[in-house]
Amino acid sequence: MGIPIYPVHLEDPLFQGYYDGLDAGELRITADTETGEWVWYPPEVVPGKPDAVLEWRPVSPEGKAYSFTTVIRSLLPGDHKAEVPYTVILFEPDDAPGVRIAGILVDDDGVDPACDMRLRFRPVEAGDHRIAGFAPVR
Amino acid sequence: MKGNKVAITGIGETAFLRKGEETVMQMMTRASLAAIADAGLTPADIDGHISNKYVGHPSEEIAHAIGAATRRFTAVADTAGGTATTGDALRLAQLAIEAGLARHVLVPYAIRSTKPGGVYGFHAREPQKAGLEMPAGFFGQPTYFATMANRYAHEFGMSEAELASVSMTYRAWAALTPSAQKRDPMDLDAYRQTPMISTPLRVADCCLTTDGGGAYVVSAVEAARDLPHPVISVQGVGIGYNNYPHGVLFTQKPCTFDYPGWDSAAQAYAMAGVDPKDLDLAQVYDGFSISAIVQTEMLGLCDRGEGARFYAAGHAKPGGRMPVNTSGGHMSGGYVPGINLLIEAVRQLRGQEGDRQVPDARLCAVAGLGGNNHSTTILARD
Repeated sequence: MGIPIYPVHLEDPLFQGYYDGLDAGELRITADTETGEWVWYPPEVVPGKPDAVLEWRPVSPEGKAYSFTTVIRSLLPGDHKAEVPYTVILFEPDDAPGVRIAGILVDDDGVDPACDMRLRFRPVEAGDHRIAGFAPVR
Repeated sequence: MKGNKVAITGIGETAFLRKGEETVMQMMTRASLAAIADAGLTPADIDGHISNKYVGHPSEEIAHAIGAATRRFTAVADTAGGTATTGDALRLAQLAIEAGLARHVLVPYAIRSTKPGGVYGFHAREPQKAGLEMPAGFFGQPTYFATMANRYAHEFGMSEAELASVSMTYRAWAALTPSAQKRDPMDLDAYRQTPMISTPLRVADCCLTTDGGGAYVVSAVEAARDLPHPVISVQGVGIGYNNYPHGVLFTQKPCTFDYPGWDSAAQAYAMAGVDPKDLDLAQVYDGFSISAIVQTEMLGLCDRGEGARFYAAGHAKPGGRMPVNTSGGHMSGGYVPGINLLIEAVRQLRGQEGDRQVPDARLCAVAGLGGNNHSTTILARD
């Protein structure tokens, strides 16, 4: 299986904390500092709370796949033929119900991807940055 | 709002091409003039205009291009895809006519799928997609809808052959449609020979790349009786809105394939005073086979979770008990979001379709998905 290589544009500081987390080997998402509730994806304005302050917090590295797809023809801008196939996972951390994080399936050893399969986070090198990988829990 | 107050009095289309030469404005103008002529009207009769925010041409431009009279009413459909062209625009037109603000309202649309940047360019401009999804390789509608298909199959069961039957059904209708872009026969083997894009969706599961346009004219039912065609009245329009912006709707909705079509269908059937068993045919926004399956369920043509098996059983094919997408839909006929499905509904209800005419078609539902909103429209022949 391949690995998608697409540049991370961090002109928008909304997402810097996510990639800082990957660099530190953690899966981090945003939470409301006042209520502690997860707010994901980080929005420009937290619904109903324009003054809300978000912070990046680690979530459980274990969870399950909401869904998946194996990309055969990449639709990313540019030429990505050498990077396919890879399997995208929409990962739901155990301690953040309803939150979904996009990453790729790794260390699958021939295990077919499936909805609700148990997974564990592992960061993956993808060019000059890291992306989220998820390995089946056996 | 009540049904049977307004009618679709004129329809017009351009050719649907894999790669055309005309601009969006040229195609909208061509389709609009055809629709106005079809209604037995002249551009000077058009006093209301509904434009579309994704097309990028405000109504003064199209009014100028067709040589319309002074505009008395304009509005912009604020949704996307089929919801805008077959739901919001029609509702706005009815509001304008019932309020006495316009007599004949033009709804034009055109698309150049082959424009630079491609059909997925607008997704790349969403900050969440650019920042969090594209680096993980999650990008483009076929990939988004593929994850819906896998989740749907997990919850309800769906074999490859059942999924393929949607494409095969629409292709069978396209084979009877001279203007359809893809008319070559497609059985399961032919389906399997189309390239896989993102499992389980193949090229055959996706809408076509089309350069083309369509337009229609809405008038009061009383005015329609003085015009050339049988009166095709709007019996019901329902619209379901969800507040999920494009940046989050393919990942963060509790159920990613739960479009608000249950709500839109309930509204439309209630307004029309009919239910699904009264329909003679339906047109379903088929951006992808999986989204057509789900909307077929939402229209009430089958039970929830049975959409793929509904198609596999042959119910929607030519000669089936509930014909669906009788000009080939967006997957085989052409992709002019929503509007060519509405136009096909009108043609069927007029009884103009020759080889593919559904016998005695009098009541048709049109389902319009658009981003995370959804419309259901019920049209009837007097």
